[in-house]
Amino acid sequence: MNQSKPSQDAFVARRRVHWQQLDDLLTQSKHLHRLPPDLIGSVGRLYRIVCADLMRARSAGYGQELVAYLDVLGARAHNRLYRASPYQLRKVGELLARDFPRTLRESWRYMAAATALFLVPFFIALFATLANPDLAAEVMPRGQLDMLAQSYAEGFGQGRAESQDVSMTGFYVYNNVGISFRVFATGIFFGLGSMFYLVSNGVTIGATLGYVSAMGAGRNILTFVMGHGAFELTAIVIAGAAGLRMGYALVRTHGRTRLGSLRREGPAVARLALGAAVMLGIAALIEGFWSPSSVADEVKWATATALWLGVIAYFVLAGRAGTTGETPGGTPGFGEGSS
Amino acid sequence: MSKPAGQDGLENALDTTVDVETPEHVTFRVHVAGPSRRAVAYGVDLLIRGVVLVVLAVVVEMAGVTVDFEGASQGVLLVVMFSLEWGYYILFESLWSGQTPGKRMLSLRTVKESGVPLTFLDVVLRNLLRGADWLPAFNVVGLVVMAVDGRFRRLGDMVAGTMVVQEAKGRLGSALVISPAPTPAELEAIPASVSLSGAEMDVLESFLRRVGTLSPARELELAQMVAPMFAQRCGARYEHAVRFLGALFVRAGGHVLAAPSHRKTFFGRTRGGA
Repeated sequence: MNQSKPSQDAFVARRRVHWQQLDDLLTQSKHLHRLPPDLIGSVGRLYRIVCADLMRARSAGYGQELVAYLDVLGARAHNRLYRASPYQLRKVGELLARDFPRTLRESWRYMAAATALFLVPFFIALFATLANPDLAAEVMPRGQLDMLAQSYAEGFGQGRAESQDVSMTGFYVYNNVGISFRVFATGIFFGLGSMFYLVSNGVTIGATLGYVSAMGAGRNILTFVMGHGAFELTAIVIAGAAGLRMGYALVRTHGRTRLGSLRREGPAVARLALGAAVMLGIAALIEGFWSPSSVADEVKWATATALWLGVIAYFVLAGRAGTTGETPGGTPGFGEGSS
Repeated sequence: MSKPAGQDGLENALDTTVDVETPEHVTFRVHVAGPSRRAVAYGVDLLIRGVVLVVLAVVVEMAGVTVDFEGASQGVLLVVMFSLEWGYYILFESLWSGQTPGKRMLSLRTVKESGVPLTFLDVVLRNLLRGADWLPAFNVVGLVVMAVDGRFRRLGDMVAGTMVVQEAKGRLGSALVISPAPTPAELEAIPASVSLSGAEMDVLESFLRRVGTLSPARELELAQMVAPMFAQRCGARYEHAVRFLGALFVRAGGHVLAAPSHRKTFFGRTRGGA
């Protein structure tokens, strides 16, 4: 080894006081911004010292343990100094008021595709089962169908126990929001999973509606479904659209690597999935408490109309103010990760 | 952007390390966590979620029985189940900056591929994608994808641009000790002009640091793999390969502490999993 550089032990002896200082500062304080101002400044200074020492240790060929020690210390300081923007409740409001509807409009092609993938099988199944109710047994066990038909035939004139409302709301949260997350997540398989779930949901819902209608309870089931459907059916389509968008990013990469293309769409599809989850939460509450209540059918229909119009107006109009020069993709702070 | 280390040289070709470059153009080397460690963390989290669910189920059932509200308690439990299934990871990874109780226990942390902490949307993405990684059952897709990827990322990590790293809390190792110190005779046997490359010195140093932690027979066996090569190169003879390597290290300019002292394992427990 040449003699121009300090020996490893001399290097360590001379520099370790700085390393120890930085180590202590990082260990003591969980939040750097709560330190006194002069100490915050010294963290940055010590970090740069450690960076320089790391480079020197590497180029001097000092022992791997020393290099690894500086590596870990430097990386710890780095992760403290370069933080992601903090989580703020305000961001959730911004997501719902602005970013979600904007991203939705920007993804209108995927929305159109997802809607078609849901509605076409839905109507085919609906008309097929209206014409021949036995077909419904192909997608759902006969016993379950009859139970449904019977419960809707009774109507909701009596309302039902509050405890049952809570129970069903819980079920809708667990089942429906979970389904929509799966509709979204399986889009990673080149969109195929989302397509499958959209079509299968369309078929099941269409066949159920058709069968129950054919058994003579069509008005009741529609009265029941229309209210929360404004949130639930649209949210499942949105989750599917997010999955399709994710899958399509793998197919059409615009000259990026497949992963890079996927990564670029990440924040947008996450916003869609989150928005859909919130909508499904609302849907579960309506479905659990309002839809089965004993309120007159006319009121339910009026409410359902208002909900549908409200949801559509939200999709079309929300977050339009101040759009100039700002795109949903460029919204600062909320999850714009560098990649 | 990070890349698997070792593409630029052989030294880390088999290592599970990743180079992360900072804005200061300094690269840090981090250890990505493999499937086994992550599986254990997953198991711990699963256990915690299971216990929470059972405890809450008992509490809710008891409350339900006392006010005769059985349907309601069922609904509450389903919401709890939903929150544990989807909310648990999102909550902890956003509050604890990429850690869950299980990850914390195994000193794992989820970070961006650039080494910086996660944003909320990253956390949401990587955890919603569990729905795909789980398929067809028991995380099979996730495991296969991890096995193929150089950074052990599952699908959720790939979409969110994240990876799971092992957090090593490095300690400055004590200086190297050769005990007993090489005798003048041992040193004299090696020419003073001997010169070793940095990589060779590293190999010798890491071997000498392990002396004493291995059985004497194993030490000798390892030393004999390289000792003849060095001996031939500098034209020296040796009696005991381990002693020879120690003397060679000193002669070539390696630094050792004169007096024996307490030795610590530098990486502590994290080394075994690396």
